[in-house]
Amino acid sequence: MKRTYLLFLIFATVGLSAQTQKQTPPEGSTPKDFKLPARKSDKLPNGLTTTLVQYGAIPKVNINVIIKTGNIHESENEVWLGDLTGNLMREGTKTMDFKTIARKVATMGGEVNVSTGLNQMTISGSVLSEFAPQLVKILADIVMNPAFPETEVERLKNDLKRQLTVQKGVPQNQATEKFRSIVYKDHPYGRYYPTEEMITSYTIDRIRSFYEKNVGAKRTVVYAVGKFNEADVKNAITESFKEWKEGPEVNFPIAKPVRTNQVAMIDRPKAPQTTVIIGLPTIDPSHPDYLPLQVTNSLLGGSFGSRITANIRENKGYTYSPFSTINNGYRVAIWYEQADVTTEHTGAALQEISKEIKRLQSEPPSPEELKGIQNYEAGIFVLQNSSPGGIINQLNFIDFHGLQESYLTDRVKNIYSVTPEKVQQMAKGHFKYEDMTLVLVGDKKELDKQMKERERSLKVK
Amino acid sequence: MFIKFFPPERGKDLNFSQNLKPTKCMNILKKISTGIPLLAILLLPGCAGEKEQLKDAANSFQVPVEYYQLKNGLKVVLSPDPTSPTVVVAVYYNIGFRIEPKDRTGFAHLFEHMMFQGSQNLGKMEFVNLVQKNGGILNGSTRFDFTNYFEVMPAHKLETALWAEADRMKGLAITQDNLTNQQGVVKNEVKVNVLNQPYGGFPWLDMPQYANENWYNAHNFYGDLADLDSANLEDVDKFFKTFYAPNNAVITVVGDFQTPEAKKWIEQYFAAIPSSQLPSKPDISEPPQTREKRFNKEDKLANKPAIAVAYKMPDRNTPEYYAMGLIDQLLAQGSDSKLYQKLVQEKGYTGGISGGINYLGNMFNYNGPMLWMADLVYDANISPDSILAQFDAAILELDTVSQEDVDLAIVKVRSNLYDNLGGFYGIGRADLLACFALFDNDPARINTLETEFRKITPEIIRKTAKEFLRSTNRTILIIDPKAGKS
Repeated sequence: MKRTYLLFLIFATVGLSAQTQKQTPPEGSTPKDFKLPARKSDKLPNGLTTTLVQYGAIPKVNINVIIKTGNIHESENEVWLGDLTGNLMREGTKTMDFKTIARKVATMGGEVNVSTGLNQMTISGSVLSEFAPQLVKILADIVMNPAFPETEVERLKNDLKRQLTVQKGVPQNQATEKFRSIVYKDHPYGRYYPTEEMITSYTIDRIRSFYEKNVGAKRTVVYAVGKFNEADVKNAITESFKEWKEGPEVNFPIAKPVRTNQVAMIDRPKAPQTTVIIGLPTIDPSHPDYLPLQVTNSLLGGSFGSRITANIRENKGYTYSPFSTINNGYRVAIWYEQADVTTEHTGAALQEISKEIKRLQSEPPSPEELKGIQNYEAGIFVLQNSSPGGIINQLNFIDFHGLQESYLTDRVKNIYSVTPEKVQQMAKGHFKYEDMTLVLVGDKKELDKQMKERERSLKVK
Repeated sequence: MFIKFFPPERGKDLNFSQNLKPTKCMNILKKISTGIPLLAILLLPGCAGEKEQLKDAANSFQVPVEYYQLKNGLKVVLSPDPTSPTVVVAVYYNIGFRIEPKDRTGFAHLFEHMMFQGSQNLGKMEFVNLVQKNGGILNGSTRFDFTNYFEVMPAHKLETALWAEADRMKGLAITQDNLTNQQGVVKNEVKVNVLNQPYGGFPWLDMPQYANENWYNAHNFYGDLADLDSANLEDVDKFFKTFYAPNNAVITVVGDFQTPEAKKWIEQYFAAIPSSQLPSKPDISEPPQTREKRFNKEDKLANKPAIAVAYKMPDRNTPEYYAMGLIDQLLAQGSDSKLYQKLVQEKGYTGGISGGINYLGNMFNYNGPMLWMADLVYDANISPDSILAQFDAAILELDTVSQEDVDLAIVKVRSNLYDNLGGFYGIGRADLLACFALFDNDPARINTLETEFRKITPEIIRKTAKEFLRSTNRTILIIDPKAGKS
């Protein structure tokens, strides 16, 4: 009874759309001009760079002090020593303790954040406009005159250990750690997590030494973006930072990522999903083909409408959250597709991913499909430059990778100059499925079975 | 952690990521305090026409609001902002997961997915493609009291987005294949966010189920997998007809547009959609809580214990409600807050705490019973009671709150509000306008919020803390970590 009714419903909807001529969406009008917000850059005699951008009308400002050091400068038995150094810097300066800083910055409507990444340590805050100069002074004090209170070291080490334990329980993190260790091997980029023993071994002396070796004016850029009094902020930066030591030159050891078709599995018995990462080293932003590679990535798996997502999510329903991305380091990069796939469909999902890669290698996309992706990438570029945080990220990106300003100013033009043939060529040259490292985190018993089937069917092809 | 159509695409970072590793912050536990769902990590952006006198502007920042209703009952809010050549179109329907059908837990969210599966003029994937191929981004999400759909488009594509939203408000064209496909997708969403994740669902999805008594506030909003499986096309059709009508919705446009043009197109595309007879709203009220409740939840994937403490909130828009907004700042927001100072700095029980009103949004975008909550991960050698003692001590300090403390809380609220007004490419502003239109019939409230907070005296704070932050009004949920134990 119910079945009949359902059939009727389907019939009714289909009937409705067949009868009526489908309307075409209105085109819209002509595009408005988009200009990148103007920036003013300067350099102090000690080598510190400043970049100021006035943006928007909301009375707030973002100030970021970005230092070109991070996990990349840790040796083999020092993983997260950079994080611990950053966290201890946040504990106070020679004249203000943590509580005083926290309270002061709160009265400005913000708080101080310190984060240590692979390549950069960022000390930042976002406050009401009128407090911009005061925030600059506090951030300068934190990076130049950290108190490094020994009394706080054990607590911060214990926090890192807890964080380590919690993070290592997350399947996506397990997959990332494995993937990076295979591709980047002995380079710091391949050391995603420390051991508890490592953290235990860190002393105040090693923290001080990491700071002394890696932090200084030459490695530092100060960004102020938002709405603020320019003269006051410029003054505050000069006054606060001019006495700082030059410190070390910028120096990033360049990794040599490896291509290997290794398959690695991490067992999570009875896991309802498999976390899949499949990918390989690729070209970095300093390469002239980087932008065509980005466009190709966006079409293949990097946007919601992309081929892989349309296939394994919107057609097959194997997963909720697939995406592909290019992940950059200094003069190196990796491309990968990542997805959490229903356990029983892991093999099938991999088949579909490989199918989509091969399809793009064997025939160029239609001009319409490519045009859609180009419009999307151009639209995203406008959004990337439409917030203070986004603007800082863009400027930091070209600074970190040593790119010309034209990387940003010509970007939209360059997006549109990519041809369908170029996309096919990029897919052929950079997405060789047989060279890809595959990491699976899931129910090993079930996966072993599926991987055998997958190998068999790959061979048939 | 919103329940939403698609996740933040870690790969499609709107901000270039120059660091190879994802953030190492402790917020594995999904802190949502100001929340708007969007791609990646979006920071606070700017906004409308230049206003001079920086200091005064800080107190008088005003958002333009034009508000009217079409004859079919559709509410319309327009708020021009020429900062960036983009425009936000946001349609909010007055149906959240709270009042979904009782035998169909998770259906409001599953239905949200159906809104992307096909309408009269746009087949499957065509809505998504239309937006992306015109240079825009989109998403949808399901919350306690609304379901929203939004696009951020290049400014000259406003008409395209309005046409598309009207098309799916007119009606859906869904097949069994579409439904089956999205049942698969949503079940994978539940798995990736809850079932295969340490601390999955803690505390954002769990706590309402423990703290609340009324089914509408206390059921599993993501849905039991069996309920998700049993949903059929008839349910889809009925749900659409019941709730997805213009007289149960608001459309908000924020960004770089001309008001007369926007009005013309909204009239042209939406005016002919018929209104419907809306069902009466069920009783969603919560009985007053009279004793402390405490629960343990085993988590087979977690390695460390975690605790969440939740207090039932006063009713929306009362003086006590605004007082709770300030108390939240004093207790749990930022490294100067009392709980941070005590639990992180002084005791070292944890590396960070999350907290706030409405973990699936913020203190403005809900319309019913709500919780103020805070949560943290700690080590097994610490007893939950010693953590609770710190909560009690922090709350006790509110008894001696000074005018200076209140002023500090107001500055933090204002700064946070600016992030919403300017943030997320206009989606933050659209969200507040839509919710105030939908729940209060008064989107212009957006410009008087600060005034309401300023009315709160230390005395009201003290009274509110006594009445609402009493131990008999709280629910405690403790995660018992069982990873590696069978």
